[in-house]
Amino acid sequence: MSLKVEQATTAFTFKGGMLPMTVMELSTSDPERIGAQLAGKLSQAPAFFQHTPVVLSVEKLDDTALALERLCAVCRSHRLLPVAVRGGGEGIKQSAWALGLGWFPPQEIRETRPLTTVDETSAGIDETGSGRIHRGTVRSGQQVSAPGGDLVIIGAVNAGAEVLAAGSVHVYGPLRGRALAGIHGDRQAGIFCRELHAELLSVAGTYKRLEDVDRALLGTPVQIGLKEDQLAIEALV
Amino acid sequence: MARIIVVTSGKGGVGKTTSAAAISTGLALKGNRTVVIDFDVGLRNLDLIMGCERRVVYDLVNVIQGEAGLNQALIRDKRTENLHILPASQTRDKEALTLEGVEQVLEKLSEDYDYIVCDSPAGIERGAQLAMYFADEAIVVTNPEVSSVRDSDRILGLLASRTRRAEQGQDPVVERLLITRYNPDRVDSGDMLNLDDIQEILAIKLIGLIPESEAVLRASNSGVPVTHDEQSDAGQAYLDTVDRLLGEEKPLRFHQFEKKGFLSRIFGGGRR
Ligand SMILES: Nc1ncnc2c1ncn2[C@@H]1O[C@H](COP(=O)(O)OP(=O)(O)OP(=O)(O)O)[C@@H](O)[C@H]1O
Ligand SMILES: [Mg+2]
Repeated sequence: MSLKVEQATTAFTFKGGMLPMTVMELSTSDPERIGAQLAGKLSQAPAFFQHTPVVLSVEKLDDTALALERLCAVCRSHRLLPVAVRGGGEGIKQSAWALGLGWFPPQEIRETRPLTTVDETSAGIDETGSGRIHRGTVRSGQQVSAPGGDLVIIGAVNAGAEVLAAGSVHVYGPLRGRALAGIHGDRQAGIFCRELHAELLSVAGTYKRLEDVDRALLGTPVQIGLKEDQLAIEALV
Repeated sequence: MARIIVVTSGKGGVGKTTSAAAISTGLALKGNRTVVIDFDVGLRNLDLIMGCERRVVYDLVNVIQGEAGLNQALIRDKRTENLHILPASQTRDKEALTLEGVEQVLEKLSEDYDYIVCDSPAGIERGAQLAMYFADEAIVVTNPEVSSVRDSDRILGLLASRTRRAEQGQDPVVERLLITRYNPDRVDSGDMLNLDDIQEILAIKLIGLIPESEAVLRASNSGVPVTHDEQSDAGQAYLDTVDRLLGEEKPLRFHQFEKKGFLSRIFGGGRR
């Protein structure tokens, strides 16, 4: 039994969501070498290779020498499921699309962490074409997103809540939960809040946890943005 | 038409059942026809706190499944006029409750009572959502600790989206904060969150503050809701809460650290 009294009248709804996603950063375009390494990994950690979705990052590679189709075949034969490609030029983008894969713009920063997050369903989809204003407290377990622009929250974002936007996130109140700006890769996006207590801050995939934040800034009004590939948190004056 | 009040919290063991019993007793003492329903199917203990466990014959599940009439299941409170208890089943599981069944029971009770108080089970799952679904008002019971505040916040999110009022676009459920087991000494020493912090995070109106009190333990052991212990701090705090629910202004009490007097230090008494 569902607690919904009214039957849903729409066939679906778009929901912004952040999913952990493995990025496979290629340092060679040679399918043989990739296949050999995968075979080794597969025997070490078979549990990981359960048609696990991966994003192929080709940012370190020389564009022209890349046989994307063969690469995908090698991955699939080792039970990895390529779902998108990150980086590369126009040619790579077109062949990714032709193969039914998504494409993400290159991320100039070299992340040392193997995990990044990718917007679940609304990547690249501009639903509203504009921003969104939310009035009231965003509570634990709630998620408010603006997949097509800036997000303005007039109220608090509590611990356990998540706010995300393709553009910037503005919180006119305490920010205690997670805030993600530039979820489609906009590196110009920023996060602004009246009182910083955030559990997680992310701009275009570069993130900081509460632990990493200078304690002197906690509880103060701040602006957050990318500066030379680092998340910079500055007093908002 | 009765006002339907759900007593809920998310986190378990924070004092929902104690509060549901004390508040429904207080409402009845003030002359309101009141029924208190135990939604905690499988873990019933409202009947214990109300001291009527030996008089339970039928329960909410029996009524919903058509095995008993509502009047057969309702237990009249021995101490307080105008007060009835609708117990939960100890033996059935939560799946025995249906939304339609609950709606019918509440509709029928609405004809005969002024207040229907629903004692919610802990958690945010189906049982808790059923208890809150038809509510007009919610009393969100919170202890002065981080995990309890977080869970209350979560429940407030559900109240704003998973209730009949929310789904049908009516006026929202009236949300009220009840802080229980407040211990000013431990708040002062930083072991517990203070009143202002809790209120700032949850951002809803405070309806009452119940101190940590031995009177509550005495009350539940003897099966007499603490509201009847008018001398006790907790009893008075619940009576204040009821007055505020009924629209009266009452100053907040029991939230400040009281220096223990010489005698009570010697005799180890202090608050009772
Ligand atoms: N103000 C208080 N002072 C001291 N003890 C209290 C107070 N309020 C509740 N308690 C005690 O806390 C325990 C849990 O209370 P209660 O059963 O009312 O919580 P609950 O939220 O209904 O729990 P559950 O989630 O299991 O249904 C009981 O032992 C009760 O006596
Ligand atoms: Mg209980």
